[in-house]
Amino acid sequence: MKMRRLRTPAATVLASLASFIVAAGRLSAAPGAQVVEIKGEIIDTWCYLSGVMGGPDAVVGSAHHTCALWCAAGGIPVGVKAEDGTVYMVLKVKGEDPLAQTDTIMELQSDSIVAKGQHYVRDGVNYLVVADVISNEGITNRNHEDFGVVPGFAIPEKK
Amino acid sequence: MTIKHILQLAAVASSVAVFAHGGVAEDFSNGSNASTFGLSGEQKATFSGKVVDILCELSGDCPENCGDGKRNLGIVRDADNALVMVSKNAQFEFNGGTDDLLPYCNKAVDVDGLLIGEDPGVKAKIYMLQLIRHKGETEWSKAERWGEAWKKRNPGADGEGPWYRRDRRVTKQIDKEGYLGLGLEIDKKWIAENQ
Repeated sequence: MKMRRLRTPAATVLASLASFIVAAGRLSAAPGAQVVEIKGEIIDTWCYLSGVMGGPDAVVGSAHHTCALWCAAGGIPVGVKAEDGTVYMVLKVKGEDPLAQTDTIMELQSDSIVAKGQHYVRDGVNYLVVADVISNEGITNRNHEDFGVVPGFAIPEKK
Repeated sequence: MTIKHILQLAAVASSVAVFAHGGVAEDFSNGSNASTFGLSGEQKATFSGKVVDILCELSGDCPENCGDGKRNLGIVRDADNALVMVSKNAQFEFNGGTDDLLPYCNKAVDVDGLLIGEDPGVKAKIYMLQLIRHKGETEWSKAERWGEAWKKRNPGADGEGPWYRRDRRVTKQIDKEGYLGLGLEIDKKWIAENQ
């Protein structure tokens, strides 16, 4: 099984210099935060980090979309997996708390997005308050073609 | 610069990176009665701390009662002041931990469960909460409040089968975009060929 990483602050800084995170325009940084733009995929962080459903390549994208909806509705933290592999725990989306029982987080699940917001780091964990979703390409990771659906019972059998 | 010098520099850089984020987490397994599941980087962990609204802890944006169930909650661990995000409770149907932590908002607690994750540099791995009690009490409560809380949030959602087949927000998305999230036509074709 491949390693999943909650990227360390030092590594995150390097990654930001590399390309994926850029200081963004008009949004002001909150105390203790950095304003960032992050390109990545909305993921179910529990299945991704715990390996409970399989390897990291299988628990993202279209293969895992239904389970990701279940976990988001179940109150499990949603994240953004950036292109460099860094996982950001999402604490708010467009002004909404993540467990507010609205459809916002559900509609974004598994999508490839560019998000702008406030980035906090504590104890090696990256957190993101998404102020805005700048672009959304929908689900671009069509990994069901390789993995089927994960878990296998995601699509109920016909009776 | 020789290869030896490069390796020495790499070792120094590595140690600086570890120092920068506070080093490796302590071992909290002593006295834990948590059930194990063979998850990635799984470690039994029982510790004391304070239940917090994570966003409040990070930013000072602090609604009443830790967000009243709308926010992700965590525990600031007494031993090392680490902010531990609780991602999961003890139930087995895709359930988070907020409903189990909310009654203890800003209170001191003892918890038992599993730390999860494989990055050795992360001081505060995510946590699967299995047992909780007010700090110093003798009786534990199982972290299994989610199911009843979901029923209260979803009156009229009674029916056969697990909650995730009946949840309004889940079914709305699947009805709109399919199980694969790529549209109903792609779903239909894939199901016909594979199930």
